[in-house]
Amino acid sequence: MKIYIYQIFERFWHWMQVLLISALAITGLEIHGFFELFGYRNAVSIHDISAWAFLILIIFAIFWHFTTGEWRQYKPSLKLVKEQINYYITGIFSGAEHPTNKLVYNKFNPLQRLIYLGLKILVIPVMGLSGLAYMYLNYPNQGFQLGSLDSAALIHTAGAYFLIVFVIAHVYLTTTGHKPLSAIKAMITGWEEVDEKGARAMVANEMEVALKITKARLKADGNKSELLDTALAETEARLGVKKEEKFRDVVANSGAGYFRIDPNGIYEEVNNAWACLYKFKSPEDVVGKHYSLSRNKEEFEELEITFNKVLKGETIPHGEVTRICQDGSIGHHTVTMTPVVKNNQIVGVEGFILDTTARLLAEKELLENKIRLEQLLNDRDRK
Amino acid sequence: MKKLIYLVLIVFSFQATLFASPDQEASLENQHKLKLINYVKKADRLNQKVVDHGKFAVLQQEFKRPQDVTLACLSCHTERHTEIMANNHWTWQRTEKLNGRGEVSVGKKNILNNFCIGTSSNRESCTRCHIGYGWKDESFDFTEKENIDCLVCHDLSGVYKKESGMAGYPVEGINLNVVAQSVGSPKRANCGVCHFWGGGGNNVKHGDLEEAMNNGTKKLDVHMGTDGEDMSCIECHITENHNITGKLYALSSENKNRISCEQCHTTEPHSDALLNKHGLRIACQTCHIPYYAKANSTKMWWDWTSAGRLDEHGEPLHEADADGNHNYLSIKGTFVWDQNIKPSYFWFNGLADHFLITDSITEIPIQMNTLNGAYSDKGANCKTTGCSKIWPVKVHRGKQPYDAINNRLVQVKTFSKVKGEGAYWMDFDWNAAIKAGMEYVGLPYSGEYGFVETEMYWPLNHQVSPASQSLRCIDCHTRSEEGRLASLTDFYLPGRDYNAWIDNIGIILIILSFIGVVVHGALRIILRKNCLHD
Repeated sequence: MKIYIYQIFERFWHWMQVLLISALAITGLEIHGFFELFGYRNAVSIHDISAWAFLILIIFAIFWHFTTGEWRQYKPSLKLVKEQINYYITGIFSGAEHPTNKLVYNKFNPLQRLIYLGLKILVIPVMGLSGLAYMYLNYPNQGFQLGSLDSAALIHTAGAYFLIVFVIAHVYLTTTGHKPLSAIKAMITGWEEVDEKGARAMVANEMEVALKITKARLKADGNKSELLDTALAETEARLGVKKEEKFRDVVANSGAGYFRIDPNGIYEEVNNAWACLYKFKSPEDVVGKHYSLSRNKEEFEELEITFNKVLKGETIPHGEVTRICQDGSIGHHTVTMTPVVKNNQIVGVEGFILDTTARLLAEKELLENKIRLEQLLNDRDRK
Repeated sequence: MKKLIYLVLIVFSFQATLFASPDQEASLENQHKLKLINYVKKADRLNQKVVDHGKFAVLQQEFKRPQDVTLACLSCHTERHTEIMANNHWTWQRTEKLNGRGEVSVGKKNILNNFCIGTSSNRESCTRCHIGYGWKDESFDFTEKENIDCLVCHDLSGVYKKESGMAGYPVEGINLNVVAQSVGSPKRANCGVCHFWGGGGNNVKHGDLEEAMNNGTKKLDVHMGTDGEDMSCIECHITENHNITGKLYALSSENKNRISCEQCHTTEPHSDALLNKHGLRIACQTCHIPYYAKANSTKMWWDWTSAGRLDEHGEPLHEADADGNHNYLSIKGTFVWDQNIKPSYFWFNGLADHFLITDSITEIPIQMNTLNGAYSDKGANCKTTGCSKIWPVKVHRGKQPYDAINNRLVQVKTFSKVKGEGAYWMDFDWNAAIKAGMEYVGLPYSGEYGFVETEMYWPLNHQVSPASQSLRCIDCHTRSEEGRLASLTDFYLPGRDYNAWIDNIGIILIILSFIGVVVHGALRIILRKNCLHD
C-alpha cells in the first residue's frame, strides 16, 4: 500500500538539488580540467549561477525545515545504526526485513540521519564557503585576500569528490526500498509504496502523534469533539488517507476499532480491535446484533440521533463516549462516524473508535490527586 | 500530476536561462561597442592641413650640410632643441634606479645586450639610429644643437635615409629641400626605420615591431592595420614637447613614463565582468597578443660561438634558411629565427633590473634585463605599479663572449672600416676585439674569454590581434603541457592545477563506490532467488 511521505516542497527541493548538484559536478569537473563540454567560460557561468541558485534554495529549505519542524528528522541518533549497517551488509541479501520503518515523523533511517546531517552542517557549508572564497577572495586590491587559490580550491575539490561518492551511493540505495523503484517514485509523487507491516506501524505512529497533540489541546480547550476531529483530520491529511478509498484499509490495520452498521442498526462488520475493545471473543459474536447492545439508556438515545444524522449523509465526529462492554464493564473511546455510500445511496454507517479508557483513567487519577492536594493545602492553611 | 508538470516547467525554464546566458553574451559581444576614452576615431577627426612647409623661404635655400636643415628648422621652432636634448633618443642614456644599486645611468650608450652586444667602440655604425649627426666617438658634442637630426623623424617624403656606418649622416645626394619641405608629425615609417630594424635587420629584436606594420592589416596589428584605424605610433606613444611616452625594458628599469592599453580602453573594457577581473592580474597583452612575429620572422637565438668561420678565400660567409633569414654569418655566428610564435609568460610589476658590464656573473643563463614580479607580489609596488601581472614576453637567448677570469660580460669592438683596429667584423680575432672594446669603456680584460648563455626579455605590446583571435579560457585553463601558462607555476590556476593526492583519492573513491554498487546490486539480484520475502 502507499503512504504520502514527501510533501510538495520537499520534492521540489530534492529535485532542484539533483539538478543543481549535477550541474555543479559536471561543470566543476570541466573547470577542474578533466574534459571539455560546455566550454570553459560557459562552464564557469553555469557553475556560478548554479551555486547561487543552490544558496537561495538552501535559504528556502532552512525556512521550510524550521517552520514545519521537519528539522527534527535530522536529529542524530546512534540507535539502530549498527543494525542498519548490518542490514546493508548482510541482511539485505537474505531478504531480512528493514530494521527501521519509514514514518512520516521519522522518515530517515539512523544512517541517513547521520549522513544527511553531516551534509547539511559540514559538507554543504564547507563547499559554499570555499566556493565563495574561490570566487571573491582571489584577486588583489579587494581588502582581505587569500595568499593563493590553493587552499580554497583544494578544499572545494575534495568536497566535490565526497559529494560525487555520496550521490553514487545515494542513488544506489534508493533501490533498496519496498520495490527497486519505490523510493524514486515516492520522491516524484510523494506517495511511497510500503509493505503492510510498515504501513501499520506508520498508521499507529500517526495515531499516537495525533492523540498526543489532541490531548495537549484538550487541556487548553474544552471543545473536545471539534479538536479531536481536527486532529484526526490532520492525521488523515498527513497520511494522505482519503476516506473514500483508503479509510477502511488503513483503519483496519491500525489498531483502531472499525465498525460498519447497516441502515437498520445491525452490525455488518467489526474488526478484531473493535471486538477486543468491547470484550467480545470474536467479531462473529457481534455481527447481526443491534448497536443498542453497547450503550446505557442515555448514551443510546444520543447515539441513535447521531446514527440517523449520518444516514442522511453527515459525517459526525461523535467525540468521547462511554461504552458498555460485553462483561458489563465500562470503557471510553472516541468515535467518528461516516456514511457508507454505494451507487450514490447511503447503505450504512461506518467509523472507527480509538480507546481512551486508559487515558481517561489516568486523567481522572491526576484530577483526583490534584483535588486531594488542594484540600491538604487548604487544611494546612486553615491550621 | 499538475505538480509534476509545474516541476518540469520550472526545471526547464531554469535550464533555458542557464544555457541562454552565454549565447546572449556572444550576441552582446558582437554588438558591443568598443569602449574608448582619450581617443578620437579617425573618421571623426577634422583633417585640415594648417601649414605648408613648402612655402617657407628658409626651406628653399640650398642646403650644403644636413645640419643646415636643422638650423633652418630651429629658426622658426626656436627652442625645440632643448626638448630634444633632454630626450633619450638623443642622450642614449637616462638615470634609472636599479634594484640594490642605487641610481645608474643606463641606455644604448653603455648597456649590454645579447644581439650585437653593445654600442661602445662601435658608435660609427650603431649611431645610424641616433637622432644626430656625427656621433662616431666620445668627442661628439651633445650640446651642439645643429647636430640634431630633425628629418629622420619628421620626413614624410620617404626620401630621407641615413647612411650605414656613417655616424648618423644621411645618404649622399638626397635632395634635402624636398625632405625639409615635406615634414610633419612622425608616421610609422619614421619610427620604424630604427625600431623595426634594430639589431641589424627587420624584426630582429622586438618580434612585435617590424616593417610589415607600415602597411599591414588589422589581423597583423589591430591598431595599425591600414584596413582599420591605421594608427601611427604617436597616437599611443603620446608626445608633448618631444617627450615620447612609452618605453622598453631592454633599456629602462623604472615604472615611469609608461603608456598602457587602459589609457584608451579603460580598466573595464569587457562586457564580461569576469574578464575585467582577470585584468587585475593579467596584462591586456597576454590575451590580446596570442602570437608575435606574425608577418616576418624574428631572431630567437644568437650564438656568437660559431662566428669567424671563413670561406676558402678567407672571406666571411652568409648562409640563409628557407625563409631567406640568415642562419649563419661569419661576423655574427649562428641564428635561429621563428615566426608566429607563442610568447613566453612572466610575472611583471613594471620594474626591471639590468646586468651591467661591471656585474659579476652569478647565474647562467645571465638575465640581461630581469623582469621583476611574482604571483605573490600583489601590491608591494601598488603605489607605483599595482601588482605583478602576467605579461607576454619574447625571450631572446644566445651565447656571447665573457671574461673567463674576471667572470664578467665584455664589450666587444665589432665595427671598423679598416682591418687592424681589432674590430671583430674585420679581423675575426676575439681577443683583439674584446681588448679593444674593454679599452674603449675603460675596464680591465684578463685576456681569456669564453662564451656564456644569456637571456634578454622583450615584453610584447604590439601586433595586438583582433578580439576574435585573442586567447580563449582553455589556452591557459588547461592541464595540457601546451597550455600558455604551463611554466608559470607559482600559483594555483584553475583548470591547470590540482593536488595529485586529492584527485587520486577522489577518483579511487568514486571507482570503489561504483564497484561497490555493482557488486552489492549483483549480489542482491543473485541472492533474491533464495529469498522467501516477497
